[in-house]
Amino acid sequence: MADSIATSRAPASLPRDLTKKKRTNKKLKQSKLDVRREQWLSQVKNKGCKVDSNGKDESHSSSMRIANVQNGSLDNLEIRSRGEENEGSSIHDSDLESLMNSPIGSTLDHNDSSKGLTGSSSSITSSGCCSGNVSEEEEDDGCVDDWEAVADALYADDNQHKPIAESPAEPETRVESDNLEVPNHNPGVDLSKTESGKVVPESRANCQAWRPDDACRPQSLPTLSKQHSFPMKSEWHCGRGAITWTWQRLSSQPSSCPICYEDLDVTDSSFLPCSCGFHLCLFCHKRILEADGRCPGCRKQYDQINVNMCFNERVAPFQLSRSCSMSTRF
Amino acid sequence: MQASRARLFKEYKEVQREKTADPDIQLACDDSNIFKWTALIKGPSETPYEGGVFQLAFAVPEQYPLQPPQVRFLTKIFHPNVHFKTGEICLDILKNAWSPAWTLQSVCRAIIALMAHPEPDSPLNCDSGNLLRSGDIRGFQSMAKMYTRLAAMPKKG
Repeated sequence: MADSIATSRAPASLPRDLTKKKRTNKKLKQSKLDVRREQWLSQVKNKGCKVDSNGKDESHSSSMRIANVQNGSLDNLEIRSRGEENEGSSIHDSDLESLMNSPIGSTLDHNDSSKGLTGSSSSITSSGCCSGNVSEEEEDDGCVDDWEAVADALYADDNQHKPIAESPAEPETRVESDNLEVPNHNPGVDLSKTESGKVVPESRANCQAWRPDDACRPQSLPTLSKQHSFPMKSEWHCGRGAITWTWQRLSSQPSSCPICYEDLDVTDSSFLPCSCGFHLCLFCHKRILEADGRCPGCRKQYDQINVNMCFNERVAPFQLSRSCSMSTRF
Repeated sequence: MQASRARLFKEYKEVQREKTADPDIQLACDDSNIFKWTALIKGPSETPYEGGVFQLAFAVPEQYPLQPPQVRFLTKIFHPNVHFKTGEICLDILKNAWSPAWTLQSVCRAIIALMAHPEPDSPLNCDSGNLLRSGDIRGFQSMAKMYTRLAAMPKKG
């Protein structure tokens, strides 16, 4: 989880533009796409039950593949228990799953941080993931609406077949060791689901909805192998970055210098030359020092000694809000 | 010099974008010179200036925003802090209390606030200041209202 977060931070700026565009385009479809996303996220999470129910199924070898990659040896029980400690993201090690991890990570992160945020961040996150969905579908058959129609039809169909699917799932003992792990793994999944605190019943229902006839799964629905070859890998990491960006926005840090109106870069944002918390860019600060040398926020003389030590590693939120109030007051 | 131009250009874009944001202020830039601006401000309600539209002229220095813009009333106004003949405004933020964080738009707001709350103790218009300082509120108000009717009521372009 830790490295996925670390990698997700770096390409934050690039996908942000993408998500912006997509957000406007796909707003109407977002709710549906959200459901789809939840669906196959939960598929991956619940691969344990998958392997049981679809053990015979050739077309659904994706979940088997995960099991194979990870459980190369027979002591998969041990690995499983370790995976549970990682909140169900036991698939971390396999590079096949590097893509799948980041949506999970972003979902969790999003839910962690969503307390202090408004809905805008969630829309960004979901659009980020969903836009990935959409573009992938467009690659496949070039028609999103068709895919949705097919998916909806199948979804309704699956709901009817659900009870049939449940019963043969239990006696299936194709992968013996995996069968052992099921009781262990399932509570772990449930736990993480409730921890994330979102759409628990929905995702459960969805995960069951696809289970019975995976052979009939629409070709256009994303499969794991396709995700692996998905060209814009970086987009999957955008969730976290977008959140960080929104957080900065919402915590009222000015995005541009109030003096010259140029965008503040990272150095400028952490530059606090005055105790009143007034943000400005280094360029304007230098110009002011050459002129009367008073802080534009509080009109006090800039302290020359302080200036050299005013780069904060991380500016506390309360300071930011104060700086905002200062700048609006004058 | 270049910085002031860039900043004024961005202020101009901001003004265009938020044209409807403040209905009391219409800020416009000279077509050929970005350092010359004019503004039309509405007289604040419950003051003798209510119903009048006052024109302001901005002359922006090249050191802007480090230096404040020079603002004066083009419309005649009877106000203790506005010179009756030249339209010069006595306002601290246009002099020593200026901050680069101010914008032309916020200067307009400050002038509207000054119209509503005159400072008779630092008068540029002594007659007006004396009326207020002697407690003749009614006399001040009727004079100010009369000049508003005379100068600010007929719409200017």
